[in-house]
Parts: sequence; C-alpha cells; structure tokens
Amino acid sequence: MPPRTTRTTGRATRSAAPRPPHASEDDPRIMLDREISSDLYDPVPPYPTQTEREAEFYTRGDGEMFLNVGPHHPATHGVLRLVLKLSGEQVVDVDPVLGYLHRGVEKICENSDYYHVIDQVDPLEYVSSLFQEWAAVLAFEKLMDVEVPARAEWIRVLSGELLRISSHTLFMGFLALDLGGLTPILYSFIERDEIVEMLAALTGARMLFNYFRIGGVNGDLNHEFLSRLGDWMSRAAKQTEANAGLLNENEIFVRRARGVGVLSREMALRYGVTGGNLRASGVPFDVRRAHPYSVYPALDFNVPTRLEGDALARYLIRVDEVRESIKIIDQCLHNMPDGPVMAKLPRLLRPHPGRAWGAVEGPRGMLGVYAISDGSDQPFRFRIHDPSFVNLETVPALLPGNLLADTMAIVSSLDPVMGGIDK
Amino acid sequence: MTFAVRTWDRMSPTARLTAILVPLALLLAVATVIGVLVVVPATINFLGANLPLVRFGVAVVGILVLTIPTAFVLIYMELKIIARMNLRVGPNRIGPWGAAMSLVHGFKVLSKEDFAPTGADLPVFTLAPVVTFLASVMTLLVVPFAPGIFGQDFNIGLLFFFAMGGLSVLGLLMAGWASFNKYSLLGGLRSAAQIVSYEIPLTVSVVGVVILAGTMSTNSIVLAQRGSALDWFVFKQPLAALIFFIAATAEANRTPFDMTEADSEIVAGFATEYSGMRFGFFFFAEYVNVFIVSALITTVFFGGWTAPFNWPWPYNLNWLDAWSIGILWIPIAGIVLFVGTDIMAAVVRLLGGKAWTAPSAFGLGLLITGALMTAAVGLALFIAFDWVQGIFWFMAKTYVFVFIVRLDARHAAPRPGGSADGLRLEMAPARIASQPLRDGNRRDHPEPVNAR
Amino acid sequence: MDRNLKRRLEARLEAQLRGPIRQRQDETEIRIQPGDVPDVLRTLHDAVDLRFEILADLAGVDTGEHMQVVYHLWSETSPDWLRVIADGLSRDDPRCPSATFLWTGAEWLEREAYDMFGIVFEGNRDLRRIFMPPDYTSFPLRKDFLLPDDAARSTGEGVRHVERSHAPAVVADDPAAGVRRAPAS
Repeated sequence: MPPRTTRTTGRATRSAAPRPPHASEDDPRIMLDREISSDLYDPVPPYPTQTEREAEFYTRGDGEMFLNVGPHHPATHGVLRLVLKLSGEQVVDVDPVLGYLHRGVEKICENSDYYHVIDQVDPLEYVSSLFQEWAAVLAFEKLMDVEVPARAEWIRVLSGELLRISSHTLFMGFLALDLGGLTPILYSFIERDEIVEMLAALTGARMLFNYFRIGGVNGDLNHEFLSRLGDWMSRAAKQTEANAGLLNENEIFVRRARGVGVLSREMALRYGVTGGNLRASGVPFDVRRAHPYSVYPALDFNVPTRLEGDALARYLIRVDEVRESIKIIDQCLHNMPDGPVMAKLPRLLRPHPGRAWGAVEGPRGMLGVYAISDGSDQPFRFRIHDPSFVNLETVPALLPGNLLADTMAIVSSLDPVMGGIDK
Repeated sequence: MTFAVRTWDRMSPTARLTAILVPLALLLAVATVIGVLVVVPATINFLGANLPLVRFGVAVVGILVLTIPTAFVLIYMELKIIARMNLRVGPNRIGPWGAAMSLVHGFKVLSKEDFAPTGADLPVFTLAPVVTFLASVMTLLVVPFAPGIFGQDFNIGLLFFFAMGGLSVLGLLMAGWASFNKYSLLGGLRSAAQIVSYEIPLTVSVVGVVILAGTMSTNSIVLAQRGSALDWFVFKQPLAALIFFIAATAEANRTPFDMTEADSEIVAGFATEYSGMRFGFFFFAEYVNVFIVSALITTVFFGGWTAPFNWPWPYNLNWLDAWSIGILWIPIAGIVLFVGTDIMAAVVRLLGGKAWTAPSAFGLGLLITGALMTAAVGLALFIAFDWVQGIFWFMAKTYVFVFIVRLDARHAAPRPGGSADGLRLEMAPARIASQPLRDGNRRDHPEPVNAR
Repeated sequence: MDRNLKRRLEARLEAQLRGPIRQRQDETEIRIQPGDVPDVLRTLHDAVDLRFEILADLAGVDTGEHMQVVYHLWSETSPDWLRVIADGLSRDDPRCPSATFLWTGAEWLEREAYDMFGIVFEGNRDLRRIFMPPDYTSFPLRKDFLLPDDAARSTGEGVRHVERSHAPAVVADDPAAGVRRAPAS
C-alpha cells in the first residue's frame, strides 16, 4: 500500500468572503482558491488509515474515483452515507459510513427504569416501532417470569401484523421510487395511512405507539379501531393485489430488479442476515416459526421462501408476507379470547438478577433484545440487535460489479431503516 | 467647473429634473427627425431588398416568444394529469383551476439566487444553459407550422434538425464538466452517451422518408404527404415511425430514457449545481425539446399541417365581396350583437325562470352571443385561409404526441390488468422448509488470523 | 429448556466449558474463556448434532469488573437459544478472538462492540469505530462512562466529565467510585 499523506487543511473559503483577520497565508486551515482541486472533495478521511480494510479501500486504483452518496441524498433512506469507489459507472468497492443518527439508545435505556425503556426504544425502527417494543417487552417478561394474559398476546399479534403490512407496503413504494417510479409510493402511503389511523385509534399515536407493556398492552380493543379494521379488511386483499400488480406487471421495474444484488444462501447465512432478505435467499428462517413466541404456534400461516436471492425476490417475499399477515389478522379476529389485557405488576419493577434474550420477527428480520438485570429498577445492560444493521452489512459484498444505477435498487431492496441501524 | 457644480447644488429637485429632461427631449426630437428622414427609409429599403433576413429575424423572435407559453402549458398539463394519476388534486390555488401555477413557477425561478459553486469553471458554467437552450430553440426554425408559416425553408431541413439536436449534448457536457461536482459529471457523460447513441437510429429512420419525398426540406416533406391520412408516411414507413418515436423520446430525455437526471442515483445529473434562471434554461429547453420532437414526428410521419381527410376547403369567400358592403361590416356586426343579445336574454329568461334577473340574463345573453360570433368568425377564417387550418391541424397532432411523450412511464405505471410473464407469485415449494440448514462450502472459513 | 442440548454440549465442549451449563426458560447458557472462542464457535457451527448456523447477536458487556463478549446462536436442532459468554476479559485491555472467520457478518457487530466498549477483536480486519466519530476517544457503554445527570451515582462531585480518554479504568478498583457491578454469578 502506498503511503498516503495526511491532510490537515479544512474547507475552502469562498473567494468573495472576507478572510478572517487572524488568517495568514501559511495558516494550514485556510485553503487558497488556487489550491482547490477535485482532491478537496474526495471523501478520504483526514487521518491516517486505522485498519487494513480502510487502507485498502481508500487507496485509489487507476481510473477510479470516490463518490460520496449521502448522508444527504434523495435515495439513501435516512442519513446513510455510502462512499463508493467507482470505475466509470461501475462500483468497485463500498464503504458505508454510519453513525449520523446515533443517539446512544442503549445507554439511555440503561439509565431508565423498565417501564421507561419501552418508550425509549420506540424511535429505533420508526417505521414499525411496535416490534421493537415487543422485543424489549419479551425480554423483560422472561427476566421477570411474568405471565401475560391471553387476550393481550392476541392483541399484540393483531397490531403487530397490521404494522408489518404497513411497513411492507411502504417498502414496495420506496423500492419503486428508487427505481424511478413516482406513483407507487403514493398508493403505499394511502394503505399505510389507513393502518396507522387504525392503530392511532387503538394506541393514541400514529407513529411511536408506546403501546406494549410488560405483562400486557396499554388498553383493550375499542370500537373505533374495530370498525376501521373491519372496513379495511373488507378490501385489504384486493387493495394489496392492486398495489402489488402496479409493480409486478411493470416491465421496467421487473427487468431492473431481476438478477440484481444476488445474495446467495451461504452468503446470507454467513452474514447473519435475517428476515425477508434471508428467506429470499432460500433459508426458511422466521422467528415466528423457528423459535415461536406469543400465540404464533396457534396460528396458521406459511413462511414464504424464494430461491433467487435477488432484489426482485426480496420484493416478492414482502408481497407474499403481506398476504400471510392478512391471513393472520383474520385468524386473530376470529380467535380473540376475552379477558384482561394486563397482568398485575408492581409500580416499580425490580427483577431478580439474571439475563434474558427476547427476539421477535419484525418486518426487516429478527429484532432481539438482551437484557441483564442487577436487581435494581434499571436494566444493567440493554443490548438491541437490529436486523437492518446486519442486512446493511451485506452492501459492501453486493454492490461491487454493479452499475451506479443499481446501487440504490440493491440498498433499497434490503429495506434498511437508519433509525434502527444507528441506534 | 466650480460654477457648474455650485449651480447644480443650489438647484431645486424640479429644476434639476428639468435641466436633465429638456436637453434630452431636444436630442430625442432631433434624432427622431433624422431617423424618420434618413434611417427608417434606408432600413426599409434594405430589408425590402433582403426579405429572407426579415423572415429569419421574425422567425427567431416568434420562436422565442412561442417557447415560454409552450413550456407553461406543458408544465400545467403535466402537473394536473399526473396529480390525477396519483390520486391528488394538483395545483388549484393560483388562477382558475390553478392554471397560473406555471407562471408563478417561472417567477420563482427568476427570483432565485444565481449561484455558482466554488471551484466551478465559471465561463463554461454560465454558457452551458445558453447553449442547451439555443440548440433546442433553433430547431424550431425548420418546423413548418402551416403553409407559408415557417422559420426558414432549408433544403437540408432534417439535417439541420439533427445537427442542432446534437449540439444540445455539448451544453449538457459543458454543464456536467463545469459544475465541479461528480454527480454532474456522471449526468453529463450519461446524457452524452445516450444522445449520441440514439442519434444514429433517429437519423437512419428518416432515410426512407427522405427517399419517398425526394427531399430533406421539411416543407416539401409535408407537401409530399398532402391528400388524405392514407398518404401520410406513417403508413408507408410504419417501422421507421416507431423507431423514430422511440429514439426521439430518448433524445428528449424522457422516461424511460431519463438516466441523465435519475434523481434517485445522481441527484439531478448535470443540473445538480444549477439554480435560478440558469436551471430555468435547462428546464425550458427540456420542455421545448418535447414540443419539437412531437412537432417533428408530426411533420415527418403524420402529414404536418395537412388535414387528415380530403378537405374541400379553402373556399374562396370572394362572393362576400359581391355584396359590396365594405366598411358596413362593422355596423352590421354591432347590430347582430345587439339583437342577438336581446334574443338570447329572452331565451335565458324563458328557460331559466325567475331566478334570472334582467342584468344577469342580459349578461349571459351577451356572453353567448359573443361566443357564437367569435366562433362564426373563427369558422370563416378557418374556411377562408389555409394557414389557419394548417396551424389548427398541426397543433392538434403535435399536442397529441406531446401528451404521449410527456406522460411517461414513471407516473403512468399501469394499474393491474393481466399477469406478467414469468411472474407468478406462488409460494416456493414446501420442501424448502424441510431442507436442513447446512453450509455447503466449509472451506470458506479460513483459520482465524491473529493480526494484532 | 432443552435437556438434550445440555447433554450434547457437555459431550462436545467438555474441555472448554467454564462453570456449569445454565438453562432457564428457552435459553441455554455456556461460559468459556475468550481464548477458546474460535474452537467453541467452530464446534457449535459445524458439529452434526449442534449446527448453530445463525448468529443471532454479538454483544459486549461491561460488568464493572471485567468485560464479556456474548454470542446468541440459533440452531434448528434445538428449540433453545444458545448463549455463549466469553467471560473474564480484562477491563484495561480487553481482547477477544474475532468470529469473522465463521460469520462474516460479525464484522460490524464486533466493530460496534469495539466502538462501545473498546473490546479489541483479534482477526477482524476492519476494527474501527462505527457509530462514534473516528477521533473519539471514549467508550460510551462502559460503566465508568457516566451521563451528565448521573450525579447520584458519581462519587459526589456533582456533574462529571462525560467523555474521558481511554485510560485504564482506575475507578473500577475503587468501590466508592460508583461503578455498577453485575451480581456475582
């Protein structure tokens, strides 16, 4: 590896702007206009490389250039920054840079009491925040040996599957948007809005629900929720087919998504990918079936699996999962038992010292929480495992060799949510 | 000198104004006299001797004036129709049904900051939108709108069109290069690659038409298609028409050929760093391009300004002169308007009932009569003058193609109808579920390396 | 609780296990030395009767006395989650072999553990910060990294500096420093 110079210069000053009085010609922070070169805007970090991989990436080969995609870019789903190494329009290598949305949720949770944690984890996967609550609640219930009333479990499954549909519908719209289709996203948002309004009637919030509680849920099903749900269920299947057909039968969409970003079965397993992305590669791993929780063992649904592992397969898996979720919601409405929705618990929770791991199947994959209690009212360690984080990790393996135009299709087909990735 | 300054200081504002205006007025008067006596006759003589020059100047000005309303109409049309496809209402605040929306867009673009990024190659950066805009506007020169109404009848009209179309690439490349931005560079190169590659089928596809018509002059090509719709070249050269249409769509950078400004990948392509009216020029050039491409499809394959069936007109309306009423047309028109308003008001009152008070009934009557009279005059013009017919047919055909080109695949993704080939959404076979989870290739795991 | 899994684990990993296998609800937990991580993970991944092929999670833990690296694994051969705890990493210089030779996806998880705890994973070729800026010097999830409103738990100095350089954690030896300790288990 050739030695790289360390640059200490900062940003260039505008030629029209008056120079600050203390600045002199030899001040390294000031770059003169004549020194401006395209080098200045390269995303090469201004410090010596720290690792083998970083050194390899930031060494430019013949005819290669760096391109900063993000953190502010129309198609990176939040503040993701991808440093692409391009040769012409072909991607040679990628270095995803994370952390623009890092809030230290794990640390905050370790300093909140157990009830408060549920509130803190809501904004992680903001598209489907119930699942993050669910994972936390599941781990805490294991930690405290709480028996959850049956009706509460059914309500959890019902609201969770509704939110899964909403999340998947949004995914389809955004995938189309990144491939250049502007209309499907609007239809997706119509669908999502109906579901979110429904959940707002149930939980009181449209996005960050804060609905699950340790030992149950916050409030029983109400009339408005059920009437909205019934109204929606009467046309859900038809509407889903219509929305999916908008893309499935679009020649441009199918041709651009097929065969792009192929994630093989072995690779998916080695990367620890979960969720629809893993199932699109032929591995039928779904936490709802692989390690059942809640009332899923009692429910009748399939785990859709595909073999291709490309962007189109990842998309079609989502379409299939929406159909399965509609089936589950139907069963929930038919089998919902009567009874309380909250277990009796003290106001201040002090679980015995111990450890628990709770994992649920979110729309993007396995959402896990590892909680350690030291006997106090706050978790000693609260570890959040986010599926988008691991799914995004495959990007450096999937992108090389593809054209720049396909990068967004691939990233988008993995369905990352930066709120969860950056914690 | 000191005297003049002191006097100036002591003068009142009115006096100062007078002191400035009076000499100016005198100068103007002298200049006018000289102009009327010498310059104007000389100019008229000169232009009279060089009529093609006049035609050229008028054509360029007319074209420049025409482009802006064209862009406005297209933008409004697009906003409104795409809004319907997206289940939205679209612009509905400014003007009737939001029709003045694009006008306001124009003012917004004009009032934005004119910004150039650090490191940009300023002369090239500034010239790029101009080149692009002029290249697309100049192609309008060879478009025949109606018999006798065209910019310039080149005998190499089609070649001129292709040459100018190729020139717009230069503008995009300049923009991409000068912006000092990698997204712009990628966009500029993409557009160059795309337009250059589609230029070839575009040019080759009209060779058949050129042979059929025996000329490359757009005017003569239209004349060669005179007759009914069956004489149009689209029926003699259907494949060429299809190729030309597709290549022309690519030439106009419309979806699905919009790689040059794919906003999900390279932000806005060559226009990323442009703002204000510099961006406005690209924007207008794009819309003018759509119009031109449609106009050329109409001209070359769909008979240009000719009517789609054997049209018995223009009639000679000279028999009207036989009445010898001359200037009396004006009072006659007045009387017709007056009487017509009365009759219409009476009809409105009779049909509408008591809700129509006298003023409103007369107002409506006036409107109806005015509309009928305008229609009658328009019809008379249409019958009497072939250039009115020409413009009508040309615009009608062209806007049909504008509509097709403009409303692109990205918005008009079709609602489900049939089922796509090879896309059956069945579940994967159930045996996958029972297949054991096993990593096939164990050799892929090297020994752990202790690098540290 | 999967008793069968316990028997299989005892048979396969007898030499490497530190302490008894704990089982609670749907979790099975084993403790190993950090040095044994590659061997144990390979056995768990490859052995015909174990085949723990999915790495559910990799987490760092600071118990206040030492560091741990915790792996959660899933296998279709068992209804339990398997938790592997590599215990007893020194807080001053925590080092642990990397799991990337088996699961490429562990790379970012290890980067995160490094970023948050300063645990150095030997063999990870891209061990740099992932969330915090590259010039950041603290490890935020360590127990001696106090939040500004942690005055109640601090040694009585009121609000303390939040970010401190990665110095050997002297406070850990001083019980009065307010470092929370995990229960002795």
